[in-house]
Amino acid sequence: MYKVVLVFRYLLRKRISYLAFFSVSLCVFIVAVVMTVMRGLVTDFKDKNHRFVGDCVVGTESLVGFAYYEDFMKVLEGQDFVECTSPVIKSYALCRRGSGPSVGVEVFGIDAERHSRVTGFGETLHYHKGAPRQAFEPVFDSNIPGCIVGVDLWLPRDSQGRYSYQQSLSEEAVVISCVALTASGALAKGGLEIVNTKTFWCSDTSESGLARVDGSVVYLPFEWAQMLCGMGGPDKRTSSVYIKFRGGVKFERGCAGVASLWEEFVRANGGKKLSGLFSQVKVESWKGYRREFIAAMEKEQTMLIVLFALLGVTTVFIVFVVFYMIVSHKSKDIGILESIGASRAGIVRLFLGFAFLVGVLGSFIGVVAGGLFLLNINQIEGWLFEHFEFQLWDRTIYAIGDIPNKADYRVLLIIVISAIFACLLGALVPSWQAARLKPVESLQVGQL
Amino acid sequence: MLKFLLWFRYLHKRKIVLLGIAAVALSTALLIVVSSLFTGFIKAFELAAVQAIGDVIVAPPFRFAKYPLFIERLERTGAVEAATATLSGQGLVHLGKGRVRAVKVWGIEPAKQSKVTGLKKSLCRQGRLPGEPSFEMPGSAEATGGFVGIGVVAEPDEKTDEYDFEGVEKAIIGQKVVLITGTETETIPGAGPAGSSSADSTGASTRFRRRNIPFFVSDIVFTGVYPLDKDFVYLPIEELQKTLYPDEASPTADQVHIKLSRGVPIEVALAEIRGVWETFASEQLGWRSYLIKYTDIETAGQLQSRYVAELFKQMGILLLIFGVVSFGVVLLVFCIFYMMARLKQKDVAILKSFGAASRSVVFVFFGFGACIGLVGSGLGTVIGYVVTRNVNAIEEWIRIIFGLKLWKSSVYMFSHIPSVVNWHSVLIIACSASAAVVIGALIPAIVAARTVPVNVLRYE
Repeated sequence: MYKVVLVFRYLLRKRISYLAFFSVSLCVFIVAVVMTVMRGLVTDFKDKNHRFVGDCVVGTESLVGFAYYEDFMKVLEGQDFVECTSPVIKSYALCRRGSGPSVGVEVFGIDAERHSRVTGFGETLHYHKGAPRQAFEPVFDSNIPGCIVGVDLWLPRDSQGRYSYQQSLSEEAVVISCVALTASGALAKGGLEIVNTKTFWCSDTSESGLARVDGSVVYLPFEWAQMLCGMGGPDKRTSSVYIKFRGGVKFERGCAGVASLWEEFVRANGGKKLSGLFSQVKVESWKGYRREFIAAMEKEQTMLIVLFALLGVTTVFIVFVVFYMIVSHKSKDIGILESIGASRAGIVRLFLGFAFLVGVLGSFIGVVAGGLFLLNINQIEGWLFEHFEFQLWDRTIYAIGDIPNKADYRVLLIIVISAIFACLLGALVPSWQAARLKPVESLQVGQL
Repeated sequence: MLKFLLWFRYLHKRKIVLLGIAAVALSTALLIVVSSLFTGFIKAFELAAVQAIGDVIVAPPFRFAKYPLFIERLERTGAVEAATATLSGQGLVHLGKGRVRAVKVWGIEPAKQSKVTGLKKSLCRQGRLPGEPSFEMPGSAEATGGFVGIGVVAEPDEKTDEYDFEGVEKAIIGQKVVLITGTETETIPGAGPAGSSSADSTGASTRFRRRNIPFFVSDIVFTGVYPLDKDFVYLPIEELQKTLYPDEASPTADQVHIKLSRGVPIEVALAEIRGVWETFASEQLGWRSYLIKYTDIETAGQLQSRYVAELFKQMGILLLIFGVVSFGVVLLVFCIFYMMARLKQKDVAILKSFGAASRSVVFVFFGFGACIGLVGSGLGTVIGYVVTRNVNAIEEWIRIIFGLKLWKSSVYMFSHIPSVVNWHSVLIIACSASAAVVIGALIPAIVAARTVPVNVLRYE
């Protein structure tokens, strides 16, 4: 009981302990705000990548692609864990908008409706949102071939990160010129000059929220892309098959299932024409498929955590000094406690309990202040922009909307536990020193 | 003298002071590293533009003819040391079976380009040889040669992020590749939206035609700047013009890159270049004044100013965040000094009883604070310097020990982490750290100065 009484007494009476308390609060506040924003950015980026590719991808980086994909899709769709599949042609092309200059773009050949069942593609469309079946049909003439353009290729972004969408798309031609490759990878139809060039009409724009995708991808109807890239004909080829698993299926289990089906499929079709192309095909989860982009952000998050951990050492030092002071000043109390029978462990528990209380209260204040700040962070940024033209990120450069401010309770819990641990660590040595004080020395007249 | 003795005694006897020094050093080092890495990155970013396009770029809204005459006139001015023309476009390069890459194509004159930019130093083969670089294929002067960025033909190693230069040179130099590009070749007024033609607002229609340019790779370009190495193919400007614009009789370009003479103020140089351009465009090209006005004449720095400003802003935000957390140092020093002021009351009282003034007592603590600040920030500066200068080695050790590759050129543009210490920031950070320590020592110094000897030294 004496421990509880003394802990609260020290907390209220020893003003120096307010410093430790303030230091913990400040540290928790900063780390909670920065980690919430950073985590929000990383999570949002991961979600967008997940929506972009579905759950699993069977594909090759080679622009030649692989054959018999329709057979494999049938196999996949017969499985109880697969909900839907979508073949995708991926290649590079020269793209010319209206009478402007030609620019290099990535071409994605997709069946818009099917692709939207596997990925979040349908939701990225502006004029056909949620109705991808007609996505490749220009509103002004549904009989001419349409294409969907990455929004950054088509529209500028304003200072708030918004695109200047019109009521309906204007009639604008997009000339796409692809490189057709034979199954052996050589240039197809090299003698003709205008082959594999086709004019499409922009039927919609796609805003996936991924800057690299929205600034470089043009989506074409699957059959057209297949023809333009030389993957049509009797031995049809595709670059990849995107897969969506049924609800409740774990990614690892689903991907392992697809990998084993693919191995079986390769064994069964190994002797067929063009089966050599199977060797370059990989089965990857969405995370593995996009790891080049995701890993960079995750690493930055890790580096930030390491930097904060280094700075957190200062908080440990502060707690140490504060407790060292308290122990120095309270040697008389400790002597009296020990002389009436308090054990060494009891003295250690007393000071560690005090440190725990400092950690808990400091974290609480830090978390509450951080939460309030995060709740208003976008309004604060808006005010700063209105009065001082200051933005955390220039939205005309970065494809970031609002500043993420949704706190993750697991992250907050980790921060709070780390802060309490830092307090206990800082108080450990002074507590031990207090426990080692001998009553006969601390209570002698000279000391008093 | 007494003050110095006390400072050294406290420093020696009070081990807790070392915590203050450690905290100051840690915060100072961290802020120096962050600031130096950021400014190093920004400088490398700016330098990359100068390496690629020279000091100034002239970019008219349309391609223009008779560029040799414009360059001759530019080089006659005192402001311009050298100038060179480029013809740019985009295309797809077919490197072999199943290997196609989207690239940007620059038609250049390699010898002149090297005088304006850092092209020669970037060439893997010819960079080591004396003389001016050229597109010529060794042993085959007739063949069309071209340079390709190393990232176009190879990928850096997944683990080390390094290119296999020797292997790439052996495999690629001398290989025949095909560049597929396109151009609008004819205007058909009133033509409809069919086939491969497209109509503009005037009703005229232009036909897009694919052009294949086979060439031999005569050298590999490695600038260390990922987007330049990944995206660029260089061809002879005459060859590119002949293929893309066969009907143009006069030499054609769409940009002019300029290296300025040393010591010429930027504003003066830009005014001179603009004057030459205006005269040339109106006299030789017959352009109207509004077209001439739309010509961008900018320095490499101006071209990137928006991105540089954004990077500086991000650095400021990061330093602010770390600075606020480092505010803990002030609290720490306060705690240490407060404790010392309380524990050393007897010393202070004895000093005062010998006749020391309160001001002198304040100075003892203040001076001691400054001492700790100087030692801590000095130590932090040394640590910050060592870490910054060896950041690439540290990153490599992290990769070897933890298997974690922190820096990738495909993400952060450059193949190596810029490791230049920003001494301007070092000075500001070190001074701020020392000032923070002195501020932390302020209240304890006043508390010590207010000690009344008779209260502290009485028998009870």
